[in-house]
Amino acid sequence: MSRRWSPRGLVALLLAAALWVTCGLGAYLYLGSHRSTLTSQAQKPGQGRQANDAPISHLPGVLYLVQDGTLYQLQRGTFTPVLSSPGGPGAWTQPALSPNGHSLLVVRRDYAFSDLYTTDAAGHGLTQLTHNASKTVELNHWAFYPRLTADGGSIFFSYDAKDRFNDYNVVLTIYQMPVGGTFTQARKWTTPNGYTGGDLQPVPLASGGLVYTKYSFDNASGRILAQIWLTTRAGSVGRALTPAADDCSEPALAPDGQRLAMICTAAKQVTSIEVAPFDGTNLGPRQTLVTGQLASQPAWAPNGGGLVYLAPQGAAGHFQLWLQPIPLAPPPTAAPPSAPPASPPRGAQVAKPTPTPALTPMPPAPSPTPLPAPIRLTQDNDFDATSAIAWHA
Amino acid sequence: MLALVLVGLPLSGLSGAAAYFLPVVVAAYAQTGQSARTTASPSAHPSGSAAPAPAAPIPAGSARTTAFTVLLLGSDDDSKFQADGVLTQSMILVRVNPVTRHVAMLSIPRDLWVPLSVGGAAKIDAAYSYGGAPTAIATVERNFGIHVDDYVWVGLRGLVKLIDYMGGVDVTTSNPVLDDFYPADLESTNPYSYKRVAVLPGPQHLDGIHALEYVRSRHGDIQEDFGRSQRQQQVLLALRGKSKSINPTDLPGIVATFNGEFKTSMNLTDFGRLRSLLSLAGQITDPAQIEQILLVPPYTSDAIIGGQSVVVPNWAAILPVVRQHFA
Repeated sequence: MSRRWSPRGLVALLLAAALWVTCGLGAYLYLGSHRSTLTSQAQKPGQGRQANDAPISHLPGVLYLVQDGTLYQLQRGTFTPVLSSPGGPGAWTQPALSPNGHSLLVVRRDYAFSDLYTTDAAGHGLTQLTHNASKTVELNHWAFYPRLTADGGSIFFSYDAKDRFNDYNVVLTIYQMPVGGTFTQARKWTTPNGYTGGDLQPVPLASGGLVYTKYSFDNASGRILAQIWLTTRAGSVGRALTPAADDCSEPALAPDGQRLAMICTAAKQVTSIEVAPFDGTNLGPRQTLVTGQLASQPAWAPNGGGLVYLAPQGAAGHFQLWLQPIPLAPPPTAAPPSAPPASPPRGAQVAKPTPTPALTPMPPAPSPTPLPAPIRLTQDNDFDATSAIAWHA
Repeated sequence: MLALVLVGLPLSGLSGAAAYFLPVVVAAYAQTGQSARTTASPSAHPSGSAAPAPAAPIPAGSARTTAFTVLLLGSDDDSKFQADGVLTQSMILVRVNPVTRHVAMLSIPRDLWVPLSVGGAAKIDAAYSYGGAPTAIATVERNFGIHVDDYVWVGLRGLVKLIDYMGGVDVTTSNPVLDDFYPADLESTNPYSYKRVAVLPGPQHLDGIHALEYVRSRHGDIQEDFGRSQRQQQVLLALRGKSKSINPTDLPGIVATFNGEFKTSMNLTDFGRLRSLLSLAGQITDPAQIEQILLVPPYTSDAIIGGQSVVVPNWAAILPVVRQHFA
């Protein structure tokens, strides 16, 4: 027996079936749309709406940052690509400005090597400074963290010289190379500790010395930890400015040369940005500016009145640009007693401090008055947190 | 007719939801609830104490309220190995106490020279290759004198895909991790090819491939496998942090990422237990609640046995620590 549907009944049945399908599909899509936003895509810098009076519009000067292998210039709140991503595994990273702000040093990182380049501030006239590629995997080299000296005459950078006796000991060593020269003219400045990662993040001093990050194995904690290190001449052992247990790295010298910012982790997964007076030889008491974030890459405002840095926003974890204003301290009236040098790590060799006269009195310890809260300047971007921020007036 | 329509609406909605979660159910039956036990159980413990008795199984549907121990296993599962004949490059014991909200993580050195549960002595990473997870668990239980409730095994690609699915992880990498002889087995058809890696130090956002480079590289680390174990624990904790943001609608996507790169004895069809575990992960917010343990000297020492470079356990030092945290 078969029942014949009337036209109206058939239409009603089709409508009901459509309703059921819609309902089922709707449930499927509803659930799909309620997934967590862990994988939210970052926007390119400059995309999206931004109010004219947004804090980022008030940053003085020009900043350079990297996202997804592209080097961006930030000026008056507007991002402009300066060097587009080379594509594939290639990426631009770690820009550093010349003292006059007219030219840039930048690293091009590839699959197995990285090289230093120079360009003008607009990304024109790109010139390759090092040639680290090799067809043999282990004969490639890395070059990272370039910085120009205050006179603009030479470049400090980290480079992985090969260990002739052990292929596995790949460590970064800091070299100095004349601008316009070749790597054959480069001079080795530091002696890294084996199997630690080595010496990196050089900050040339006007006095001719060098502040950098040195990694060492710390017997007390059983970990490889970072220390801010000072050396006054090439080949000198130098000495630690921070204790190993504080695990401080990423030194950034204020434009006046009298304050040093850094990040410290105490071997934890959160970082703090700390600032200490620096007289070219000794580091004064450190003041914590930012804490409770995964803050990195502190960079001073040209007038020393603040620091920008990178830290994640929300659960998606994309790194955004933040600003920590620092009220400008009054000019120093008298030189306070120098802080004692940090105790060296256990087992480390410590050279006798080279007497370097302080050019200016060390400024007083930062005021304990509460600082303004950090200001997040971007949202939904994803800046490269291993790439320094360059900032010029 | 109206009644038919009204009854059909919720049914069709449920059908849509069922279709959405179908991959989870399929994977739950295929990859979860795996056996964690061997049928025979040799008795000797190197320290002379008796092997622990298996705990009573937890009834399905019950949320865990007593402390439990999970063995996390990570393997190179490239074409150097046959399926399930792999070594476990990473073995981490995790003890979770839901009441005190305390977690202890103990990394077992992969080169630890121990008697295997199937007989003979070898590096502990070989236990899995001789009999899968049950042998690895039995070997750990026998040597460490503990009971393992469950295990989770993840292959290399599974870890990469999981981290990518979760949008990467934020990690403060401890030091530059530089390696000129890092296995390029995920990118190449030659399982013995190698490449250079350089994971720079400091806070950063790592995708799956770079997170794997960070936790897998060991050649350039002064602590070798111990340094790598520290890094593995860092990334594991970063993943735990990310898991707080997961909700049940993420499960089909997570299941799709694993695609055979994941096995566990936990019964993920038991949503009540899964929910309580996720809830627990969210409640453990203070780093002080998580204890990280590495068996560095004096707990272990280096030695050459049978021409192999191995790590010899100092059981007199290890077992009190294990009893303190895993008993």
